Amino acid sequence: MTTVGGCGFSIFDRQDGKCVMSVKIASNLQSGNVIMIENEPVVVIKAQINKSGRNQAVVKVRTKNLLTNRVSELIFKSDEKLEGVMMEKKECTYSYFSTPNHVFVDSDFNEYEIDAESIADLEKYITPDMKEVCEVTFYEGRSISVVLPKTIIREVEYTEPVARGDTSGKITKTAVLKDSKHELQVSAFVEIGDKIEIDTETGEFKRRCT
Amino acid sequence: MMSLVPAGTISNLACVEEIWFFQNLFCYEGIKAHQIMDRNDGRESPPPFLLSRRSLVTEMPAAKAESMARPRWDIFCAVVDNFGDIGVCWRLAQQLAAEQNREVRLWVDHLESFSQLCPNISPEADQQQCGPIDVRHWPRHFPDAFPDAEVADVVIEAFGCELPARYLASMAQREVTPVWINLEYLSAERWVEDCHLLMSPAPRSRLSRHFFFPGFTTKTGGVLQERDLNRSRQAFTPAEATQFLTRMGISTPNPDGLLISLFCYENPALPPLLECWADGTVPVTVLVTPGFPSTQVSNWFQQELMPGQPLQHGKLTVCGLPFLSQPDYDRLLWSCDLNFVRGEDSFVRAQWARKPFVWQIYPQSENTHLFKLDAFLGQFLRDFPQSAAVERFWQAWNGVGEISLAWQDFREIRNSLQEHTEVWACQLDRTGNLADNLVRFVRGKS
Repeated sequence: MTTVGGCGFSIFDRQDGKCVMSVKIASNLQSGNVIMIENEPVVVIKAQINKSGRNQAVVKVRTKNLLTNRVSELIFKSDEKLEGVMMEKKECTYSYFSTPNHVFVDSDFNEYEIDAESIADLEKYITPDMKEVCEVTFYEGRSISVVLPKTIIREVEYTEPVARGDTSGKITKTAVLKDSKHELQVSAFVEIGDKIEIDTETGEFKRRCT
Repeated sequence: MMSLVPAGTISNLACVEEIWFFQNLFCYEGIKAHQIMDRNDGRESPPPFLLSRRSLVTEMPAAKAESMARPRWDIFCAVVDNFGDIGVCWRLAQQLAAEQNREVRLWVDHLESFSQLCPNISPEADQQQCGPIDVRHWPRHFPDAFPDAEVADVVIEAFGCELPARYLASMAQREVTPVWINLEYLSAERWVEDCHLLMSPAPRSRLSRHFFFPGFTTKTGGVLQERDLNRSRQAFTPAEATQFLTRMGISTPNPDGLLISLFCYENPALPPLLECWADGTVPVTVLVTPGFPSTQVSNWFQQELMPGQPLQHGKLTVCGLPFLSQPDYDRLLWSCDLNFVRGEDSFVRAQWARKPFVWQIYPQSENTHLFKLDAFLGQFLRDFPQSAAVERFWQAWNGVGEISLAWQDFREIRNSLQEHTEVWACQLDRTGNLADNLVRFVRGKS
């Protein structure tokens, strides 16, 4: 296994090689990150940033305590420095869903179960036939979350036809993804059956694949 | 000297003091100070009484009890620009002291701004009493010698201002840590309801704060409103309005015309609107507050606008106002037919004034403010049939669209908007006022 860094910077390294602590800026939090809250590790299930007054912002975070499994909602100022834990990670591919877990498999065919609730915010991109290599993260030997590639490609199952004459791409419309039925905004020229590239960190449409 | 008394007699002792003594010093068997206080002030139904009636509790000498009688609240206010921050904090401090019997200390980093709003404030004094409020200068270098015992029971950081590190350290030292609240900005956006009262644990500390979001629904913290505000407004007669305007140096306006108050940030839509008013068919008298509005109006007239020296062009008359205290600003809003307001504090006061108003929202990067503007319009104009005219004018006033055309339609619907503002104020009243909601939340956390 390798230890992979995320946003922020390392404060100290543990000698047992399992994980390192880092400073994590609240605005950079993503699903799958692990942070220390009241001296206990919690995995971020969902992070949502909202602009407050003046030019400040707040980040609402849904977390799951890795020791107690308790789910909580917390809030932070966007520039708040949190205590992040950089986790052991392993490259895996998606295998199947077995209630209530998603199962990922590594190159040696070892299976790793991840509670669906812990990655609820990523489920919109998880499909039975997905081939992308993901990184399963571990806390003290237990698989707790998964990080998807920065971009993934998905098929559009439905979208309204584009208004005649406008193919500039500046106008957006709603598209529904195949399998997950997730809705997102895409450029007007995207059609049913197109494959599109999506940024998994922002959830935004990037481009249509040729 | 202290004595032991049976807990069963506690409600006969007028004993808020004793209970606070418990909370501050040793928190007897989990007794919650606020729970007993509720029994005494009678505002809420009595919560469970946790002490056995035979338990012996320590009675405090009356003199000491007197000094520890009231829960202590610290409000920290960093003045970023203009008067919005201190305006809200000052109102909140006064309400907590006057209506909730809280001992309030208000820390302000820029007393010059505060002294304009409240002339009794000396910009030079590090510590001063202003009515019931203990006002402190919040220095850039917070004193290292700040005693831990000085930390309040409830600490409010207004609008995300960072508390001094020394003060935070003292908060963490208390056996029972203070209730720590980040009072956020006012917004009508839906996400505010989801974030209101969420907890924010401080990294590497035993402290935790809660985010308190003002708003316009019962799932938010509400907005500030003094308990006697509506009564004062209703008692304000037309004769008193005339007296007030005379005191402000304004001669009696044309009864057939429109009387408008103007308080705004620098606004590119103002010159074309002045043009529109000057060229209109109805006499318009605009009462102009100092600062950006006065400067822009002076530039438009190419003549400096001074209080007591009105300027006129076509149907438009403009009158300069002196800097108004908060109570006088309310009287101004009550006296006018239409109020242009900005930011947060005057925006809320205009809603309580129950007169048609136009809001210039604080401009933000990436036009975020326009989403906030739309969110408020969505709530405010729900069930108002002529909403389009209001939306168009407000948006034009905030830089989206052409103001002159929008004014014509807005003027047409002003009477029905007057009725709607009454309905809206009644609806807003039901959300409960912010100070009450804050105190209720703190009681639940103590």
